Amino acid sequence: MLFPSESALRVDPQAVAGSRDYDIVIVGSGISGAIIAKQAAEAGKRVLVLEAGTGANRSLVGYDDLLTTFYSAAAKDNQSPFPVNANAAMPRSPQLRKLQAGETDSSTYIVQSGPYVSDTTYTRIFGGTTMHWEAKTPRMLRSDFKSRTNYGQGLDWPLSFEEVEEDYRLAEQEIGVSANVEDQSYLGQTFPDGYVFPMRGLPLSYLDQQVNNGIDGTSVDLYGRIYPLKVRPYPQGRNGIPNPAYDGGRGYRPVGAVNTHQVEEGGRCQGNTNCVPLCPVQARYHSGKTLAKAFRMNGKSGQPLVELLPQAVASKVVIDPDSGKVSALEVKVYEDPRSPVYETITVRGKVFVLAAGAIETARLMLSSGLRSTSGLVGRNLMDHAYLLNWALMPQICGTMRGTSSTGGIVDLRDGPFREKQAAFAIDIHNDGWGWATGAPTSDLLELVDDRNLHGRELRQGLIDRVSRQLLLAVMLEVMPVESNRITLDPQFTDALGNMRPILSFTVPEYTMRGAAYARQFSRTVFARLGAQDHTSYDRSDFGYVAYEGQGYAIRGGNHLAGTHIMGTTKTNSVVNKNQRSWDHENLYLVGGGSMPTIGTANVTLTLAAMCFRSGRDILNYLH
Amino acid sequence: MSDRIETFLGLSVELTAFSRFDLLATGLAERYLGTLDKVVGGDTTNTLLAAFAALPPPGDGTRARALRATILGSELLGDVARSLIKLWYSGTWFELPYAWTQRFGAKPADATFVVSPDAYVEGLLWKAIGAHPAGAKAPGYGSWAYPPKIPAFPASDTKADAVSVHLQNVGIMS
Amino acid sequence: MHTHSSIRTLDELKEFLHGAMQLEHATIPPYLTALYSIMPNVNQDAAQILRVIVVEEMLHLTIAANVLNAIGGTPDLTRPDFVASYPAYLPDGETDFEVGIQAFGREALATFLKIERPAARSEHLKAQSPLIHRKSSQHKTVLGSHPRNKDLHFYSIGEFYAAIVEGIKELEEKAKREGQTIFTGDRSRQITSEYYYSGGGELFPVFDLKSALDALELIIEQGEGDGGGIYDDDEHELAHYYRFEELVKGRYYLKGDKPGHPTGPPLQIDWDGAYPIKPNLKVAEISDGSELREATVAFNHRYGEFLALLTRAYNGQPNLLLEAVPVMFEFRNMMLELIRNPLPGHPGLNGSPTYEIGKNTADPYAAHRAEAAA
Repeated sequence: MLFPSESALRVDPQAVAGSRDYDIVIVGSGISGAIIAKQAAEAGKRVLVLEAGTGANRSLVGYDDLLTTFYSAAAKDNQSPFPVNANAAMPRSPQLRKLQAGETDSSTYIVQSGPYVSDTTYTRIFGGTTMHWEAKTPRMLRSDFKSRTNYGQGLDWPLSFEEVEEDYRLAEQEIGVSANVEDQSYLGQTFPDGYVFPMRGLPLSYLDQQVNNGIDGTSVDLYGRIYPLKVRPYPQGRNGIPNPAYDGGRGYRPVGAVNTHQVEEGGRCQGNTNCVPLCPVQARYHSGKTLAKAFRMNGKSGQPLVELLPQAVASKVVIDPDSGKVSALEVKVYEDPRSPVYETITVRGKVFVLAAGAIETARLMLSSGLRSTSGLVGRNLMDHAYLLNWALMPQICGTMRGTSSTGGIVDLRDGPFREKQAAFAIDIHNDGWGWATGAPTSDLLELVDDRNLHGRELRQGLIDRVSRQLLLAVMLEVMPVESNRITLDPQFTDALGNMRPILSFTVPEYTMRGAAYARQFSRTVFARLGAQDHTSYDRSDFGYVAYEGQGYAIRGGNHLAGTHIMGTTKTNSVVNKNQRSWDHENLYLVGGGSMPTIGTANVTLTLAAMCFRSGRDILNYLH
Repeated sequence: MSDRIETFLGLSVELTAFSRFDLLATGLAERYLGTLDKVVGGDTTNTLLAAFAALPPPGDGTRARALRATILGSELLGDVARSLIKLWYSGTWFELPYAWTQRFGAKPADATFVVSPDAYVEGLLWKAIGAHPAGAKAPGYGSWAYPPKIPAFPASDTKADAVSVHLQNVGIMS
Repeated sequence: MHTHSSIRTLDELKEFLHGAMQLEHATIPPYLTALYSIMPNVNQDAAQILRVIVVEEMLHLTIAANVLNAIGGTPDLTRPDFVASYPAYLPDGETDFEVGIQAFGREALATFLKIERPAARSEHLKAQSPLIHRKSSQHKTVLGSHPRNKDLHFYSIGEFYAAIVEGIKELEEKAKREGQTIFTGDRSRQITSEYYYSGGGELFPVFDLKSALDALELIIEQGEGDGGGIYDDDEHELAHYYRFEELVKGRYYLKGDKPGHPTGPPLQIDWDGAYPIKPNLKVAEISDGSELREATVAFNHRYGEFLALLTRAYNGQPNLLLEAVPVMFEFRNMMLELIRNPLPGHPGLNGSPTYEIGKNTADPYAAHRAEAAA
């Protein structure tokens, strides 16, 4: 996908500040902002996209620099490709430490408020968190939209699955989802007659197949109900084999790498096993692909309709006191990521869209003094809680190959048990114990340093130790709780003087009950596979949670949601079902933050679908 | 090639159980010898190479024991040899243990670092397990659906390295 | 002696299309070798361009197979002479030029530009015989020669393809007059973009005159461009010749640029940033019993298996192309290993794949390296 070369040039901040003809100003170049920008440009609207990061990764060279940074990093965590930029800082999980109740750690970008420490991350660069997402794209289940009605838990959405279904299809088209309808029609999921995904499903990994061989045909009994087990493929936002039957037989053309000059890369997934933190060949979707399409659209005068201003950190939403509408955004534009020197510009437009991710959007609202009528800005923070379970399979499974995750055990995503405990979906990680233990490097160190292996015994030891690894990552539902929240405090600021987010989070008991069951469930699966359970949770772990006499290390899922939830009235929510602010009619807060619940679906597909809805509402508003 | 690099390769073959061809195929042999020189110094490196050269010849039943006694079990050389194994396998020089620096003196260049971006890519660990480094040397669409191709290595005392796999029933699904 | 360039029979057309497949394949080993000779961390622009072109040559090979299948032929990449013996020779007007296996560098790039250069006859040559007679040695691979007589050379690749296009048109016209068609191939043998795709053009089924001509046009235009324009006809795809020229000029082309004058972002070339492989190396030159020799033979063996797999894919089992993908990635690793190893007895020179397929077929490596998967 070719960027027009002019979009690679740096837009002049003064020209942006002087401009009076933006129809829409969008904060953030992640998938939410990209979808709305593209929709608006298709309708001939003028759009400004503000991006806090440098935007260097718009060109292939810049993108490949991220890859080199990753190769060179001694610690390959999920933010390691992304250079440190104090002006647009982001959370980095290796920096965390265990906290006591009441203790605060402000040494990291997100100020952590103990005792629970979240290792959740998001990425503040061009493309947002789609630059490091794993790109699993399950839809939420029909029942997930009505969990209060169905199970007495969480909140109901102001929308039904049926109202969102068509937008799911648009999101699947935009992302380019590879999946087979027959694999995804479990737990009552239905698709319109004749629907196929844009590309065929990716094959299950050999590891998935080995796990399936051990559990297929078995079941578990939960509160008297039987749940059959099997390994099912995940839908994936990465290029596979185009399905000729897509779009009524018109097929689908996969979108490759973006660049400012002609290059062909980003075709079919090559199995780099590195979706997180960075697909080296851009086979995985990132929102730059959507933005590249938007940048190519020109207005009547031939001028590009969409402009991108990088190195621009929105710092204040300015409200007109008479109308209650947003009149402008104050934006700090820095010159160099290595220097805190910046100038503040004021940007005007007709509609403003905050699409900076659940934490940054809430941070911007709160730092502008906008808590909303409901007082819910920053509250109901959600992120999937992950419980990791790891074991050694009895046979060689060829771990460390595939996309990050091709399949999982997903039949406990729904059931009457959700009245009592959280549902979950399990990913089988093709990169083995990496997330839990730092494998395979940690295995190498242990075998060489502690077991004194070298030569043949070392080679054989590594095969035995790494190629048999199985990690079941249990992704647990987390319901909205008002006290789980983002707050600000003027004493904690970043290099540009913007207040940093303070995160207070307690894993709800509903989720912990699900976690306790998930641990037993994993042990059952391991027993059926004949796998040696190596799971252990350390008390000193920053995410350690005690529950009913047992301890569990909970990990964040980077599926941030809920800081500006949608609802039916201005007193029970921050935005309406179109993600428009109840209080400010020309302000849209979009993305995961609008989601009242997250079920057991990775949030990106759903929030992308919601943005198509918002895009239409914005265009209606402008007419 | 100089005798020094030849000795270094011989030592590395013995420590890693990868052949001279495999080691040269990384394109990193000289850089790794240079890393040893830079981090622990030429003297210690030469001591290590000399200890290797002094081992009983291959085929002599005492060679394995001597390797353990004079290199892997040497107070000076053991940790250096282990760091060298880890370097070949991962492309990362891992900082020497605290006890070593306490005894033999801290070395300014001794920190944990990736020698170069390609050193990560050429780590032997991945080859040993029939996989590829995460983010590089991709094996191609759908390859993950098949059993791994784990290269055999020089015959060991047991037959454990020649496990065979049946390829049927593992067609690309869907 | 047969000196006419026109194609008279369907069998002759099939031979020409085999020749086209051989020709399209013949560029892959030199491009791949140059690509993998590039040292890590340098020449990333050149590597990208070479990689794209290799992928497109694979596409062209497959398109030629589609056309051959469409007229009821049976593509065979396992014929003993299918893989060129390098250096091979390509027509360049009145003379041939040598296409060898060598490292990335100025010399390699000059050859690549010649391969892809649009060759137009000057006016005074236009009336002359389409075929040029030149005696070739018995052991030379001469690409773009007449399938029946390799001493007869086409003036250029373009004219070779033009002969195929004319042959298809005439034979189909003749068949039509008799109420028949030459497009009698089984459509299920066609390879479509489901099995293969890249940004550079799509695979489509060939089943009639129009689709056959479209297919051949894609091959011609991706190589040489559209007679003057740098992009092929849908303004989408930069022709190979101009991609290589970007490397010479040190700058990328943008849409609207004139040939020879790219105005896009600059690119960097490190002319020394390639491993010094011995050009056109043969297995016989590598010390007997060395690991390098074993690995070189093992590569040739694997490459032969790959061509056999492709042959099956082109003969009614298109699904096998998916299996061929991982094999191509496997080559990359095998080639990198050969190229980084010093060549015993040749100080300063490294090994290289030799592409001697069908020779030394026994795989001595098998015993050592049996891929024990576990």
